[in-house]
Amino acid sequence: MVAPGARFTGALRREIAEVAIAAALDPDPPPPWVRPYGDPALDLAFRLGRHAGTITEQWYEQLVTEGLHPLEWVEVVGVVIAVLPPVLFARAVGAPLPQLPPAADGPPHGREAEELARPMLNFVPVAAPADRTASVVQALSALPDEWDNLWRLAQAQYMGDRDMDDPLWSRGTLSRPQMELVAGRLSLIRECFF
Amino acid sequence: MLSWSSHQDGTPADIDALATGAGDAGLPHGAALLAFAEAIAGWDDDALAAARARLEDTAGEAFMIDAAAVAANFEMMTRVADGTGARHPAEALEARRALAARLGMVEGP
Repeated sequence: MVAPGARFTGALRREIAEVAIAAALDPDPPPPWVRPYGDPALDLAFRLGRHAGTITEQWYEQLVTEGLHPLEWVEVVGVVIAVLPPVLFARAVGAPLPQLPPAADGPPHGREAEELARPMLNFVPVAAPADRTASVVQALSALPDEWDNLWRLAQAQYMGDRDMDDPLWSRGTLSRPQMELVAGRLSLIRECFF
Repeated sequence: MLSWSSHQDGTPADIDALATGAGDAGLPHGAALLAFAEAIAGWDDDALAAARARLEDTAGEAFMIDAAAVAANFEMMTRVADGTGARHPAEALEARRALAARLGMVEGP
């Protein structure tokens, strides 16, 4: 997570990760409409880390108008969603919180989807062709490395996409309905309409 | 997913428990799982420790750890959805409206 990404240096990715972790763990954070950093990428990391359910397409367009490239928005999302689960998992099980390693040097690598499309099912650009898969599946497809991180984490924490159609699939401990009970309750509390 | 998987599993769950957090949803360890998920979503470390201990006492450490992993996954997926404006196709939205109203996410028809 702290190596160079498609558009960001490792140092900036680390800063984004730090902001998101601090926001997620803050017992008394600023409200969602506050922009604590005065920087589009860091303000997005803060809001996504703590107030994700309040993010709107209008705010996306506002930050893009301010100069945040749509693929930079996707990269911020990719960093935040990959760095938070290990921290929040550790907190949940009562383990010490993992620390971020030093950032790796080097320029952004520029790996992006060969062709981008504007989807109906997301407000961010995705790899073409759009809307052939579920919106959460295509969500980070514009940046293949971020997409890979997302689905590796999903495989480890939940299940692989090939298992999702099996209602009897089990982690060996929780049954599928028990897994969905946890997923559903947490998602509702997070006010995630999707 | 809860409704679908629990019917297929032969243990139809009480979907209303998702909205209220009350009861056990008709599932084994359901009450302790709901309390654990709710504590993870909050910021009270003492409440989280108590919910963790309750689940571990009743279902075992491996069960608690896997439940935490599922919660971590949905800390991730909710942010993927909200951060990219993920939405359902219009025809799927209509089909989900009744369930969303039941869970208190939207106003009923």
